[in-house]
Amino acid sequence: MFTDNRYPDKRYHSLSVLLHWLIAGGLLFMFASGLYMVNAEMPKADQYKLFQIHKASGVIMLWAIALRLLTRWLTHQPPLPSELSVKEQKLAKLGHLALYIGLCVMPLSGWLMVSASPFGLPTFVFVDWIKWPHIPFVERNKTIESLARNTHWIVASGLLLIIIGHIAAVIMHKKKQNIQLLKRMWWFKNDQN
Amino acid sequence: MHYLRFFALACLLCASTFVFSKSNIDNTQGIVGFAGEHAGMAFSGEFTRWNAKISLPPEASPSIEAEFQLASARTGDAIYDETLPEGDWFDVKNHPVGKFTSSNIEAVDNGYLVEGTLRLRGKTLPVSFKLNENGERLQSRFAIDRLEYGIGLDSDPEADWVSREIQMTLDIPKP
Ligand code: HEM
Repeated sequence: MFTDNRYPDKRYHSLSVLLHWLIAGGLLFMFASGLYMVNAEMPKADQYKLFQIHKASGVIMLWAIALRLLTRWLTHQPPLPSELSVKEQKLAKLGHLALYIGLCVMPLSGWLMVSASPFGLPTFVFVDWIKWPHIPFVERNKTIESLARNTHWIVASGLLLIIIGHIAAVIMHKKKQNIQLLKRMWWFKNDQN
Repeated sequence: MHYLRFFALACLLCASTFVFSKSNIDNTQGIVGFAGEHAGMAFSGEFTRWNAKISLPPEASPSIEAEFQLASARTGDAIYDETLPEGDWFDVKNHPVGKFTSSNIEAVDNGYLVEGTLRLRGKTLPVSFKLNENGERLQSRFAIDRLEYGIGLDSDPEADWVSREIQMTLDIPKP
C-alpha cells in the first residue's frame, strides 16, 4: 500500500493525494458550518443540529488528519523543486509545518471545548452506535472550555490565512517560475512534467 | 401468658394491615414521565425504574412515597439520554435517586390533592399536584422549575436552550 508510488520524485503518494483533497474539501465544510452556526440568525433547533453535525464531521477530520500524518511518515516525500530558492524552500517548509499544526489544533481544540463544556453533550459520529468519547479530567471545566473556544477560533482565523497563502504560493510559482506544483498533488501517471 | 399471646397476635395483625393497606407499585404498572422543550423542540421521556408505596384516603394515614432512579430516564434521543445523567443535569453519580414524600393527602372531587416534597439533585422542595381519577387509573400533570433544583444551572441558567419549566406526568393504577 505504501510502496506503490512509481513517481516518488515527481509527486506525492496516491494516498497522500487522496487525503489532501478530502481534507481540503472537509475544511471548506468545517469553516462554512462553524462560521455559519456561530454567527447566523436561525432557529435554535437548526443551530443545535448544525453543532452536532459540525462536531461529528470534526471527528472525521481528526481521523483523516491523523491518517494524513501517518502516510506522510510512512511514504516518500518528493523533494521540493530545485527551481525554488533556498529562502523559498525554507518558507514552503515553514508554511507546510504551520498547515499541519493548524490542522491538528483545530479538531483537538474543538474536542477539548466540547469535553470541558458544562453541557456535557456527547458527540455521536452521525449514528448512535459510534460515540466519540470526551477527553477525561476536564468535565465541566469552564476555564478550559473558554481557553479551547478561543484557541478554536483564533487558530481557525490563522489557518484560513495560511491556506490562502498556500494557494497563493501555488499560483505565484506557476506565474513566476512556471512550476506546476499542482501536479505534485494529483494522480499524474506520466513522467514528463 | 394468654394476654401476651393475644397482644402479640394483635400487634401482628395491626402490622400486617398497616403493611397491606399500603399498595406497592412500580414501573411495570405505571408511568412517571417528564416533558419540556430543548432548542424549541418538544421532548418527553420517562423513568424506567421507580417504585412507590401508596395509601390514599379513606385510609387512616394516607401517604405516597416514591423513589425513582435518575439514571433510568429515557427520552428516545441518544444525545439527551447520554446528557441527562451528567454532572450539571441529574448528576446521578452523586444523587442517583429522586424521591417524593407526601406530607398531606386529601380526597377531593374526582381525585386527590397531594402535597409533599420532591428531592432531586440533593435539593428537597415542596410540590403539590392533583391526582385525577380516570377509571382505574390515577393521573397527574404538574410543572417543576428545573433551575430551582440546580438542574442545568451551569450550562443554561437563562433557559436559552432547555425550558425552565418541566412538566411531570404520573399515570398509576388506583391502589
Ligand atoms: C478541522 C477541523 C475543524 C475546523 C476547521 C473547525 C472550524 C470551526 C470554525 C471556523 C468555527 C467558528 C468559530 C467562531 O467563529 O467562533 C468553529 C466552531 C466550533 N467548533 Fe469547530 N472546527 C473543527 C473541528 C471541530 C471539532 C472536532 C469539534 C468538536 C468535536 C468542533 C466543535 C466546535 C464548536 C462547539 C464550535 C462553536 C464554538 C462556539 O460556541 O463559539 N470543531 N469550528
